[in-house]
Amino acid sequence: MLTGGGISAVCMSRLLQFIKAVERQGQDHDRQENHDPAEASHDLSPRGIDQLIVSRHDTSSESDVTRPGNLDGTEGKKRRKDRNGHSTEGTFHLENELHDLSDDADYAASQLHGSVYMTPSDSIKTSASAEPEGAELVYLKDNVTIHLTQFASERISGRLKLIKQGPSLFMNWIPYKGQNSDARLSEKGILLIIENIPSLVLPYIFLLCMAFVADKNLYTIRDASFSDVRSIRRHTPTLGWQYIIIVMSSGLAFPPLYFYSGGVKEFIATVKQHIFLMRSAEDANVFLVNDFESRLQRTLSSLELPRAVSVANLQLESTSVPLGELPSNENQDISHANAADASSSACLYNGRARQKVHDPARDLSIHVLEKFSLVTRFARETTSQLFRESLNNGFVSANERRAHSLSPVDFSDEPVYEAEKVPKESEVFPDPIELEKMTLVWGQPRQAPLCLKEWATYLDSEGRVMDSKAMRKRIFYGGADHLLRKEAWPFLLGYHAYDSTCAEREYLKCIKKTEYETIKVQWQSVSAEQAKRFTKFRERKGLIDKDVVRTDRSFPFYEGDDNVNINCLRDILLTYSFYNFDLGYCQGMSDLLSPILFVMGDEAESFWCFVALMERLGPNFNRDQNGMHSQLFALSKLVELLDGPLHDYFKQNDCLNYFFCFRWLLIQFKREFEYESVMHLWEVLWTHHPSEHLHLYVCVAILKRYRNKIMGEQMDFDTLLKFINGLSGKIELDSILRDAEALCICAGEHGAASIPPGTPPSLPLDDGLLNTQLEDDIL
Amino acid sequence: MATTGNKSINAKLVLLGDVGAGKSSLVLRFVRGQFVEFQESTIGAAFFSQTLAVNDATVKFEIWDTAGQERYHSLAPMYYRGAAAAIIVYDITNQASFERAKKWVQELHSQGNPNMVTALAGNKADLLDARKVTSEEAQTYAQENGLFFLETSAKTASNVNDIFYEIAKRLPRVQPAPNPSGMVLMERPAERTVSASCCS
Ligand SMILES: Nc1nc2c(ncn2[C@@H]2O[C@H](COP(=O)(O)OP(=O)(O)OP(=O)(O)O)[C@@H](O)[C@H]2O)c(=O)[nH]1
Ligand SMILES: [Mg+2]
Repeated sequence: MLTGGGISAVCMSRLLQFIKAVERQGQDHDRQENHDPAEASHDLSPRGIDQLIVSRHDTSSESDVTRPGNLDGTEGKKRRKDRNGHSTEGTFHLENELHDLSDDADYAASQLHGSVYMTPSDSIKTSASAEPEGAELVYLKDNVTIHLTQFASERISGRLKLIKQGPSLFMNWIPYKGQNSDARLSEKGILLIIENIPSLVLPYIFLLCMAFVADKNLYTIRDASFSDVRSIRRHTPTLGWQYIIIVMSSGLAFPPLYFYSGGVKEFIATVKQHIFLMRSAEDANVFLVNDFESRLQRTLSSLELPRAVSVANLQLESTSVPLGELPSNENQDISHANAADASSSACLYNGRARQKVHDPARDLSIHVLEKFSLVTRFARETTSQLFRESLNNGFVSANERRAHSLSPVDFSDEPVYEAEKVPKESEVFPDPIELEKMTLVWGQPRQAPLCLKEWATYLDSEGRVMDSKAMRKRIFYGGADHLLRKEAWPFLLGYHAYDSTCAEREYLKCIKKTEYETIKVQWQSVSAEQAKRFTKFRERKGLIDKDVVRTDRSFPFYEGDDNVNINCLRDILLTYSFYNFDLGYCQGMSDLLSPILFVMGDEAESFWCFVALMERLGPNFNRDQNGMHSQLFALSKLVELLDGPLHDYFKQNDCLNYFFCFRWLLIQFKREFEYESVMHLWEVLWTHHPSEHLHLYVCVAILKRYRNKIMGEQMDFDTLLKFINGLSGKIELDSILRDAEALCICAGEHGAASIPPGTPPSLPLDDGLLNTQLEDDIL
Repeated sequence: MATTGNKSINAKLVLLGDVGAGKSSLVLRFVRGQFVEFQESTIGAAFFSQTLAVNDATVKFEIWDTAGQERYHSLAPMYYRGAAAAIIVYDITNQASFERAKKWVQELHSQGNPNMVTALAGNKADLLDARKVTSEEAQTYAQENGLFFLETSAKTASNVNDIFYEIAKRLPRVQPAPNPSGMVLMERPAERTVSASCCS
């Protein structure tokens, strides 16, 4: 059965051995209560691998025992040892404590930057003072589930509890026993993948396999105190399960909790009974646990920030961290993050600390930015961690050498990118997934654009697109000839249905033209007198007027004085701001409209195509920055998954917010490429092949392309933003698209699982308005 | 906060102001000596740096150019927090942009670094015929609020270098006094940076 790709029998049996061992170990683990992590050897025989995993299980080995009384959260401390078996007693917040949110390395890292967050040890003290006897169960819900991926087989169900302890409220979510295999890819699943994969990439497959065996216990939520909760976001889609996302004040968030048996409303009502809860003014589905008062704080809270400011203020008065402690913390953090490379990374870190880490200009901004990097333990504990661990143990490099010797492909004619010519200023951690190699395997060569003639072969006699999937795939690999764009874009954007006939589309065009005119008349008929008393209209019009005259003016279509196309841009945008009055006009929209008008020509048709695009990208412009937030978050997860060392670098350099990618995402790389390339990229992205979120993989691909330069030159946030802005016009699109495809396939389900539901350009999940009205009685 | 060392000062400067007031145009004129008739709107933020020699020191400006739209207002604190200097820009041909500038002044007064050197720039001074905000009005406002005011034109380069130069001169030259209690957390790291570069 395993003929494709020429996998050697040795590799195959090794993989099977590994899978079996993992399964066996999982079962063993259910029986075993204690397992000394110090025993875990780091050789990467299959046995070694699962020991590695078991050592990760260990700290949560008791999490399926529910003990509402045990709220002190300290018991992990006694047993915990680092990966080399050294006791790390007393360095609680630097260790990887799986029960507590303070485990997060980001959280520990935040200690180094102005101590704006409450220290984990503080939180321990707080909860430790609670008396276990006084615990009272106030809410219990079964079948509350987290989704590791969109696949039903990778969901973990558990029991959610709220426990009242004195004045404090705690949350527990404990996975049910005995569903280990749910969280794993079945043997069959793995084999299916293998059948299609040449031996060249087998080492990577091992790594991916490891990612799938993430144990359910890693996700256990134990005694999370609501005093550390910043907000609860409620999602109540009309179709599908309700879920909530709990954001901690540190900025971390738990994975979405899906309520299979309902009860979100009840949950929030219960929470409200016991602690102060306020509905956010910006978003009726967000409930703030800690409200802010001052203007700035409001501003920050609208960004869904961790309570950086209020805590900062508190700490100004109450805490002073002796300066001497910081360096040792830094080193401990390093040893925690990466024992094997402690010495080299410590150098790296100390080198940085000298330059920039404590610039006060950055202190608050970092925490403001951190809102963009809600980092859950979600992926931390899985793939990327394992990637890195195996990397540090020489697993990849050994196998890579093997791969090289087996490989018939010669890499020498691969282009040498600017990124590789890096001054050897500092050590750069190797890329766990070397793109050029991956791309050769998975990123298919780009094809010629789809032309009108070939397009016709996708249509039936009445003009229906017969196989839309094949057509989209074709456009994915080659884009569309410019002459075809006018025809194809309305389909890709979702304005035309694939199964519509030519005649139906012509008819629709007429109807829609009238409809457009009707909306347009609404603002056209606003008289000067009326406008005087219509501030919002005047402001919008003013803003649009300012923007259209500076949109793509060097592009011939929009060049010159009194250009009619500029007026057309203005009319469409103004009409859109009436069509979607709530969203209005926002800077960036003119960039999105410009290519559409250029391609479509017709004003009304352009308008409706733009409307279709905004259906998906509208959240980018939301006042609360929701759409941007989820994309930046997903991006950080993907980089963590696909380039651990780069992720670590960003983390150490306060760049985890990924704000330097803001422009890329907000306007879909519009400012990063030449006009023609932008159109090409957009139609490729709009095919939603192989992922609706390919644009995020494009980001990862670009970052990976320049990773060595970024890390080698030790770019800090400012420099990085400048560098990224400066890449405009210098990125070679085709090779980036190939890389992005390869990365997307490589990340597979884990990539998909890193992207929260509803992240643009997904169509919106739920109708917030409706739900607000229905559930308004809660608050 | 400006930090000193070997007579060179690093100063974070932030540009704030209404959409289209000319923030990006001012920076580009200062940093690259260019003016683009149809300068694109700023998405997110842009970062530039430029060094100026003032009598006794060289000042390296680290300049954050922000997006003007109200919608992105919530991102502004992360740029002006900790800035040593700010230029608040309005367009002399647009009264609303002057009102917006006043709002920025207020916000900086209540939220920003109290020692921040703040300049008010009445930009597009070349468009005299279309003037809506008189320089007297702006000058009075600036005096009342402790701002330093100039009318500039990114297009003709008038007063552009001057405004940066004036700011450079006004930046505090002394290191922030050591804070033995360690109370002011926001500033403590700066002292660490300084001591790391000077004393170790
Ligand atoms: N005549 C004249 N036009 C100017 C001047 N400065 C800027 N402009 C024009 O005003 C428009 C807006 O300038 P920008 O520099 O982009 O304005 P901004 O403040 O950066 O705007 P946002 O980035 O949207 O916040 C552009 O078309 C510039 O060419 C000036 O001094 N004189
Ligand atoms: Mg600008």
